[in-house]
Amino acid sequence: MLKYILKRLLIFIPTLIAISLLTFVISINAPGDPVETMLNQGGGGDGRSGEKLASEKTYEAKRHELGFDLPLFYFSLTNATFPDTLHRISKKAHRETLQRLSYEYGEWENVSSYYHTLRALESKLYEVEILDKTSSDLRKLKDAVNVLYINYDSEKMAATIENIEFDLFKNKTIKNSCSNAYFDFINAYNQMLVNKSTFSRYIPVLIWYGLDNQYHRWISGFVVGDYGISFQDKRPVSSKIFDALKWSMILSILSIVIAYLIAIPLGVRSAVDKGKWSEKLITTGLFLLYSLPNFWVATMLIQFLGGGGLGWFPTFGLGSLPENAPYWDRFFETAYHLILPLLCLTYASFAFISRQMRGGMLDVLEMDYVRTAKAKGLKKNVVVWKHAFRNSLIPIITLFASIFPLAIGGSFIIEIIFSIPGMGQLTLKAIFARDFPIVFTVLMFTAILTLVGNLVADILYAYVDPRISFSNKK
Amino acid sequence: MNFLKSILFKSKIKNDNTLDAVNQRESFRGKENESYWSVVRKQFKKNKIAVWSLRIVYLFVVLALFADFIANEKPIAAKYNGEVYFPVLKEYAVDLGITNWDKDFVNVSWKDLEYEWVVWPLSPYLPKNIDFLNTSVGPFEEQQVKSSKWKHWLGTDALGHDVFAGMIHGTRIALLVGIVSMGIAAIIGIFFGAIAGYYGDDKLKMRISSLILYILGFIIACFYAFGTRSYLLSDSIGESFSDFSLELLISFIIFGAIMFVFKYISKGLKKLPILKKEVVIPADILISRLIEIIDSIPKLFLIISIAAVVAKPSIFIVMMIIGLTTWTGIARFTRAELLRVRNLEYIEAANALGYKEFRIIVKHALPNALSPVLISIAFGIASAILIESTLSFIGVGVPAETITWGSLLSSARQDSTAWWLAIFPGFAIFITVTIYNLIGEGLTDAMNPKLKK
Repeated sequence: MLKYILKRLLIFIPTLIAISLLTFVISINAPGDPVETMLNQGGGGDGRSGEKLASEKTYEAKRHELGFDLPLFYFSLTNATFPDTLHRISKKAHRETLQRLSYEYGEWENVSSYYHTLRALESKLYEVEILDKTSSDLRKLKDAVNVLYINYDSEKMAATIENIEFDLFKNKTIKNSCSNAYFDFINAYNQMLVNKSTFSRYIPVLIWYGLDNQYHRWISGFVVGDYGISFQDKRPVSSKIFDALKWSMILSILSIVIAYLIAIPLGVRSAVDKGKWSEKLITTGLFLLYSLPNFWVATMLIQFLGGGGLGWFPTFGLGSLPENAPYWDRFFETAYHLILPLLCLTYASFAFISRQMRGGMLDVLEMDYVRTAKAKGLKKNVVVWKHAFRNSLIPIITLFASIFPLAIGGSFIIEIIFSIPGMGQLTLKAIFARDFPIVFTVLMFTAILTLVGNLVADILYAYVDPRISFSNKK
Repeated sequence: MNFLKSILFKSKIKNDNTLDAVNQRESFRGKENESYWSVVRKQFKKNKIAVWSLRIVYLFVVLALFADFIANEKPIAAKYNGEVYFPVLKEYAVDLGITNWDKDFVNVSWKDLEYEWVVWPLSPYLPKNIDFLNTSVGPFEEQQVKSSKWKHWLGTDALGHDVFAGMIHGTRIALLVGIVSMGIAAIIGIFFGAIAGYYGDDKLKMRISSLILYILGFIIACFYAFGTRSYLLSDSIGESFSDFSLELLISFIIFGAIMFVFKYISKGLKKLPILKKEVVIPADILISRLIEIIDSIPKLFLIISIAAVVAKPSIFIVMMIIGLTTWTGIARFTRAELLRVRNLEYIEAANALGYKEFRIIVKHALPNALSPVLISIAFGIASAILIESTLSFIGVGVPAETITWGSLLSSARQDSTAWWLAIFPGFAIFITVTIYNLIGEGLTDAMNPKLKK
């Protein structure tokens, strides 16, 4: 048994690695730049050169602090056009454009010099004093440069460069200070176009980055319990999750307890009464309940019992009594707000558990030892509750395993509908805001709880049913 | 610790429902002249509820196929300026690129034209049409329409979209979600399940040279099929679903071709005596672990995060994600069935006859393992539809202009008095999910007659 548990625990490792990789791949492919989200800054802006330098410095510093200046992974299998020093380019949008350009034109060196001359041209543009006669042209030129930073489409690039040439030479002041930088840039651009080669994209290359990479930092932080800080409000992920987990746990545990309390007697009853019309009614009812989508039920409850209809129940949040209100007042206010969400959470699981209970009981009732018990004249109740009941619990125990992950993800959509600040809402908001430290942590913990739940269920299974053993004896 | 020891020496009982079903099947095959499937069909037909559910599915299929004729802004047939037109049919032709619209009909408001005679669809609206005069009106409320022909039978939402039209066209999406996502899941699930079940842990033998070559070939094939084409693939997602499927198909062809090349190289290496040693690949263990790993990933969160970061949301991407994450159930059932089938005598006979293994698996083993797969596909369709409507309910992954049952239902959240928005789309989801569950139950009963007497 111990060996079995150890073996199962070993499977945790590849599972968690797989999940962490999946989340990581999703997070790096997500649109949007997390550094910019955190700094809340727009594009380049067209301030003076000092301002721009300062904002680039803060960007760079933040990027370094968050570890985004590291390579993504231990290694990368890619094609020969892939720039191996790409992670040093600071802005994410620029990186994506450059990678694409490098793929299209084949030579990273040329693309790199294209980028650097473009940067040089931009900084020259920022050095030009903004006067009445230059300001509109300068603005146009800076915008055009920004367009080049995020475009790889050859026609669009050519058109933009034509515009730059036109605006640059129209104005004497700008022409005098920037023409050299512009010629460098044009040379680099032409160099890139002329030396276009597509064959190197078909050469596979393996680049080794070593341990100092973003994934390694992330996963080792997770292992030691450092989950990072949220991109949205800079609070530590652990404290945000802790706050949210409280409500999800309250909802899930309450609903599961209630569901089991109703479901077990109901399931047993409907198995014992098999064939009676009351049983058929219960079974059909349970089936319908089980198939009802809970978000529909929630919407209907809000429509008819909440705001729009009878107005009996609050449908939003957890109440707004101040912190200093008496404890019991706050308690009842919260409980009042939780009635509808709990109802939605409970009905489906209780229908499901009842059906399982019924199935288990039906199987047991057909067994010989139950028939023997009946035959020796025991009362029906004794047979059912004392003899059959314990064995019929076995399938219910497997269900118990699903409780653990349910605590995190089970009430997810109900929380969103009723605006309860639980895990579901936290995660969904995080996903929308590309706040991946939170998404990553939630996914990992849900997976861990699923695995633990399955393991606990299997051990319990062996505990209640001695016929089950996990050793590989034949 | 005593109890641990005591169970240590007892044999392991696997609680496997499918095995149970299989044993049942063996026993009720008594009448030799009847084929297994005809018995199943007979049993299924005895189940009135399941039969009716199947009929409702047929009804939905009809609704989905003829949605354009039931709810459309264009007339089905009309006489205009002395000529007879069939605008709905014509639209199909225009979409296919066969013809173009006459200039009279470009950018016209169809309902304002003066027809000599006209046959309108049941509801003269498309889901995307906006009726500015009637926003958030219920079915029984006063509506500002020309005549009862233009009535919004099931009301409108806050923007003036017709709910009935949305419901009818939503049927298409619901059915497509079920078919496409379960189609993907079935392909992957049957593939992995068949390999795990048929080869088990002992049958898949390979020379070391071949194994190394296959792994190498796999990496290289991935590189050329997906790595170098990644920009082509990701650009085509933005274009349209058909472009994307074409690019994906090309990728798979490249992949297959490279693997094929490596297969021949490995055949050529047969002659080298050094690399002749054979290893047994524990296919079953590997695939079972893979299934275990995928099953412990929190699916709904994963699907939502993938759907939320896709640059251009599309309903087909949602279907693909659902398919790619839900194949494990099918794989489990296929595996369990093939583990049984592979030891049966007729497979041995086929082996003795020297058939290729591929042929044995596809032609002889798999057809005997399909019944539990069918059951899990039926339940899978129900859950796929539920997942999709959950996603569109919270507004993830499905573009805003695509109207689905879930997105209609979610518009009820903004308008707490619009009961019609809560009832009709929700009821459609409920009915669809229920009938697929009922069909699944009916199939289970039909294939496992012990429960039904």
